Amino acid sequence: MNNLILEVNDVAVSFGGVRAVNGATLDVEVGSVTSVIGPNGAGKTTLFNLISGAIRPDSGTILFEGLEIQNLFPHKIADRGIIRTFQGAKVIKRLSVLDNLMLGGQNNPGDSLVNFFNPKARKAYEVQCHDRAMELLQQIGLERFAHEYAGILSGGQRKLLDLARALMANPILLLLDEPFAGINPTLVEKLLEVLHALRTKHNLTFLLIEHNLETVMNISDRVIVMAEGRVIADGKPNSIYENQAVIDAYLGTRKAFK
Amino acid sequence: MTALMQPGFWVFILTMSGIYGIFTLGLQIQYGVGGILNFGHVGMMALSSYTMAILIISHGINFWIAAAIGVAVAALGGALLGLTTLRLRRDYFAIASIAFSEIVRYVIYNSDGLTGGVQGSLAIPVTGENYPSYTDTWDSIINRARDILTPIFGEIVDRDFVMAIIVWTTLGILLLIVSRVERTSWARVLRATREDDEVPAALGKNVFRFRFQAVIIGSVIGGIAGIFWGLQSSLLSPDDFLTLVTFYGWMILILAGATKVKGLPIAAIFFGFLYGGSRFFTFWPFSMLDASERAYVRIMIIGIVLIILMMSRPQGIFGKRQEMVLE
Ligand SMILES: Nc1ncnc2c1ncn2[C@@H]1O[C@H](COP(=O)(O)OP(=O)(O)O)[C@@H](O)[C@H]1O
Ligand SMILES: [Mg+2]
Repeated sequence: MNNLILEVNDVAVSFGGVRAVNGATLDVEVGSVTSVIGPNGAGKTTLFNLISGAIRPDSGTILFEGLEIQNLFPHKIADRGIIRTFQGAKVIKRLSVLDNLMLGGQNNPGDSLVNFFNPKARKAYEVQCHDRAMELLQQIGLERFAHEYAGILSGGQRKLLDLARALMANPILLLLDEPFAGINPTLVEKLLEVLHALRTKHNLTFLLIEHNLETVMNISDRVIVMAEGRVIADGKPNSIYENQAVIDAYLGTRKAFK
Repeated sequence: MTALMQPGFWVFILTMSGIYGIFTLGLQIQYGVGGILNFGHVGMMALSSYTMAILIISHGINFWIAAAIGVAVAALGGALLGLTTLRLRRDYFAIASIAFSEIVRYVIYNSDGLTGGVQGSLAIPVTGENYPSYTDTWDSIINRARDILTPIFGEIVDRDFVMAIIVWTTLGILLLIVSRVERTSWARVLRATREDDEVPAALGKNVFRFRFQAVIIGSVIGGIAGIFWGLQSSLLSPDDFLTLVTFYGWMILILAGATKVKGLPIAAIFFGFLYGGSRFFTFWPFSMLDASERAYVRIMIIGIVLIILMMSRPQGIFGKRQEMVLE
């Protein structure tokens, strides 16, 4: 094995006539922060859907820790340690904020009906899960909403909850789809700190989609540029600015960025 | 109007309410927690009661074993329904579930040699010894219970009285168990699937498994209701298991507030009294109608009460309004 945690090989999927992902190939190094950028409709979210198993590719393979996952059910992929958030955030509106978070708990004995008859194990886990959830709620500043329905949260708050819920699941590889869009800059700073701490502590790997180039350049070890379902550039953040294909497809004239 | 004055009539209503309460509890865990629209629930009641009757009458099997197998067959029915149709979209599942219970009913209707067909349980073939009724063992249990209860409660204790106590005790126990189940993290996941498949799946939850288990649990509870249904009426007919019965269960569920179990007993009693009591709407203006017309009026009145209730309290008597209206 090498130090690649994720390998996407020539993956393609189409919806009717639209080739949403059209032979994308990329990989992600263990412990890295890799950002995917590209114009709207480039296939970035679809790529995440493929990696997380929400949809199956028409062709190509996806390897996680060296094993093929492209035909697994999403919950099996999550079990392996790939956890994703959703573009625009998805919360369970009619569950409390706290319950949303606790939903992220992994290997919860209470999820199995057999353990209905083992209340000790269930409760021990719930207590621990509850404490971890409250800790995360504090970090994202939503603790006062713990017992409210998630449906009352604002868009930005929902994104925070979605992110925190993903963290609850102890991911190995975290897929974040535009996590910072619509969140105020001070909180973005704070979140980046939280994520950075997690990264050093648990050797978490991040693959994220982000439109804010400043953020991308600051936090990424590597940037992957997609356009029309393909990877058109891939490299260190600096090198991306120099890439003519990227300038044409996404950045426009370099001047605009100065 | 005289029957209204007799406690026996109301005890009978109480028993039926209790059976409907158990029946509806099965729907509650499926829909109230899991958002599963099961319109074929009556099929589980048909499966358990007929299985019990056939095993006792045709095979002379012990009542308790027959009843247990009856419930198991209802669970199998749930498994079959779940495996074949639970991956469908919610609304398609609802339609498929109606088809399920109708198929069960038609099979019962047309299997004369097994179920007695149109003639009902009286025509179930008797093999070997003479087992004229499947309630013999139950009747002797009831009689013994009556002997014990009469010194305590006095003359009011009859078959229906004992039955009411047993049914409501069962409902109480089941409510307790189900309300506990609904406080586990299993139920939290099921509640999440009520709203969305992608989120729980992305967090490692096998959505199908949770839904399937909810259908099975609901079917077992529906099966238990079926056993009591059979014992209470002591005679089964395919027409006992019309889809209308499922809808009565849904009425109770909506009245109670689907998301919590606590309103269920009161809603069941409310329904039972409305249903049984409206039989006595013989005064003006109902006196202008004949008896068969009045039967429809009764259903209409139940419907109107339900509509009024839904307009003023969409969450039911006890439900939380937010849990119904949040978008
Ligand atoms: N489920 C779907 N059904 C049909 N078309 C889809 C679906 N998902 C994505 N697409 C199409 O695939 C293309 C890529 O979409 P997406 O991956 O969301 O782009 P991005 O996230 O890069 O903005 C778009 O043209 C979009 O309309
Ligand atoms: Mg997108």
